Amino acid sequence: MTQAPVLKIDTLTKKFGSRTIIDGISMDVTPGEIVCLVGPSGTGKSTLLRCVNGLEDIQGGRIVFEDEPVRAHSKKIIDVRKRVGMIFQQFNLYPHLTARQNIVLAQVVVHGVDRRSATERADELLARVRLAHRADAYPARLSGGEQQRVAIARALATNPHMLMFDEPTSALDPETVGEVLAVMREIAEERRTMLVVTHEMRFAAEVGTRMVFMDQGKIVEEGVPRELLAQPRTERAQRFLQSIRH
Amino acid sequence: MNSFSFSLRAIVPYLGELQTAVLVTLAMSLATIGLSLAIGLVFAVLRQSRSAPLRWFATAYVEFFRNTPLLVILYFAYFMMPVIGLRMSPFQSGLVGMTLHFGAYMTEILRAGLIAVPHGQYEAGHSQGMTNFQILRHIVLPQVIRTIYAPLGNQLITIILGSSLTSAIAVNDIAAWMQTTGSDTFRYFETFLIAAIVYAVLCQVINLTRIYIGRALFPDNR
Amino acid sequence: MHETYGLLEYMPSVFRALGLTIWLSWLSLIIGAVGGLVLALMRTSGWRVLSVPALLYVEIFRSIPILIILFFFFYGAPLVLGINVSAFAAATAALSAHASALMTEVIRAGIESVGRGQWEAAQSSGMTYGQVMRHVVGPQSMQVILPPSVNIYIMILKESSIASIIGYVELTATGLLIREAHGGGFAILGIIAILYFIVCYAISLAGGALERRMKIAGSGLHMDGTR
Ligand SMILES: Nc1ncnc2c1ncn2[C@@H]1O[C@H](COP(=O)(O)OP(=O)(O)OP(=O)(O)O)[C@@H](O)[C@H]1O
Ligand SMILES: [Mg+2]
Repeated sequence: MTQAPVLKIDTLTKKFGSRTIIDGISMDVTPGEIVCLVGPSGTGKSTLLRCVNGLEDIQGGRIVFEDEPVRAHSKKIIDVRKRVGMIFQQFNLYPHLTARQNIVLAQVVVHGVDRRSATERADELLARVRLAHRADAYPARLSGGEQQRVAIARALATNPHMLMFDEPTSALDPETVGEVLAVMREIAEERRTMLVVTHEMRFAAEVGTRMVFMDQGKIVEEGVPRELLAQPRTERAQRFLQSIRH
Repeated sequence: MNSFSFSLRAIVPYLGELQTAVLVTLAMSLATIGLSLAIGLVFAVLRQSRSAPLRWFATAYVEFFRNTPLLVILYFAYFMMPVIGLRMSPFQSGLVGMTLHFGAYMTEILRAGLIAVPHGQYEAGHSQGMTNFQILRHIVLPQVIRTIYAPLGNQLITIILGSSLTSAIAVNDIAAWMQTTGSDTFRYFETFLIAAIVYAVLCQVINLTRIYIGRALFPDNR
Repeated sequence: MHETYGLLEYMPSVFRALGLTIWLSWLSLIIGAVGGLVLALMRTSGWRVLSVPALLYVEIFRSIPILIILFFFFYGAPLVLGINVSAFAAATAALSAHASALMTEVIRAGIESVGRGQWEAAQSSGMTYGQVMRHVVGPQSMQVILPPSVNIYIMILKESSIASIIGYVELTATGLLIREAHGGGFAILGIIAILYFIVCYAISLAGGALERRMKIAGSGLHMDGTR
């Protein structure tokens, strides 16, 4: 049974000035897939996610999310963003709002949910990421791991059809990485569609359904995470995996 | 030979006028802060503009008025109005001068407030499907208000103190009251003391109100 | 055409007046810096008998218009003290008083920017309070003190225009006199404003350059390149 893809990327090209950052990438994401995107720094992984969210305009190719073409600055882009949740490396919580208010805001102003149900949903999600006791805390009073869990709850609040994570644990202290990964595992078990940029290879091996290795704006190799990690076929992937193991 | 004696009795008949003068000072200061905030917002946005001439124009405005004395600007506005055919009261031309001068400082305060909102905040808003207006309204402005709240309070005090210079162009504020009452009664020392106390009390009241309201508005005291 | 020619005639006196403005503000800044140093040492002394009066001084001069201070020295002081005060002396006194209040806060911030470790290291090597200030804390705090001092100078220079109100003929008063002699108009005040701008802006550019140079020099404080 092959399902129609949620996300279709077709020979995407992205340039900053004359520098080509994404060089003709094609890839599909089907419902329930957990795609882990790995590769060296500066390869264009973040840029790829940002293109999918219409945060960057593109110079060639096509991105389609559930039949909706993704184009930055178009009116329709909001319809795409409403259906995609994004989690950033730097959390980007709203500092003037409490944890709960952070989760409520977009539900109310973007999705038109009434404030009471939005608050109930926020509390339910805070409990799920084990932060019910921190609901009234402002981001500045939360640890990095707590902030990232609030950010995940915020992204989940509007029931997105796909979640995108951009190195969600890279800005965290080693002690708090685990708590965020644990939450991500639980979300993965619900078979939600996820596109995850990460350097956490154990997580990728255990949770990912597919691994995509990118280098210099191109997809170099892809496959089942365990197999790709154990036996990379290309020399570039071998070198990269070698380097992050040490 | 030192025949000075302290006496407030001669001042008493002038206290009614002092009341009006306080209102004039307050009106001038509040109008200035409102108008300079509006001007400052326009120029702060212009300073971030993509167009180089607009940026240059806004920078020139800020630098010029930050580097000229308020008093000279007040005289300039006061003497210019009739020449260019505008009939304005001293209060009105004073307000023009005050607004031009303090608008430059306000531009810098607002700009600092806008710059302090990290890029990631806009991105988070966009990624959640918010429109530019929603981002401005729910994410950016609340944060800008937080950053500029304290400098804005200080600015109001600076404006009140600065408004005393409008007495030089015949605005009947507290400083003008002090001058006329001083020369009428020859009780300079006493009138100056009263004026000083009135200004100091105004400033301290504003300062404390700002702190008090600030605690209520921003309980996380970030 | 005629008007501009007329105004040109006055330029020598305008430039003389600009000289007086600069002299008045310099003098006030120097006196203010000395006063500010004394007050800042009082503020940071840790003795309430010294720090509270210094704090009061700063707060008072921050919440009273400079104009009142000026009038107090010019009209009030002669009555109380029975001496005659010239317009120049009154203006210098008022501007110095204001400058010293502003400098106090700047110098205090400078002193406090030097960490406890420096005090402990210097005192443990047997230095007295005066020696620590002079040889260790003073030089290090300069990086924090100098840039805002430039802004205070610009502020005092602009503020010196109020001396015109009590009849000291500096730049602003000269502009007003020329205006009257010239039969009204406002062009001369524009010229005066531009002169103030040129001087103040030049000083602020120089201050910016100074600040950048001090940052570079300051980064040399740590041999390993960390700050
Ligand atoms: N706004 C921009 N303007 C110009 N160049 C940019 C911009 N954003 C990113 N780049 C460049 O694009 C390249 C890819 O950046 P990107 O952030 O996508 O890499 P990445 O794979 O996410 O790396 P990392 O693992 O370090 O996060 C980098 O060389 C970066 O310098
Ligand atoms: Mg990245």
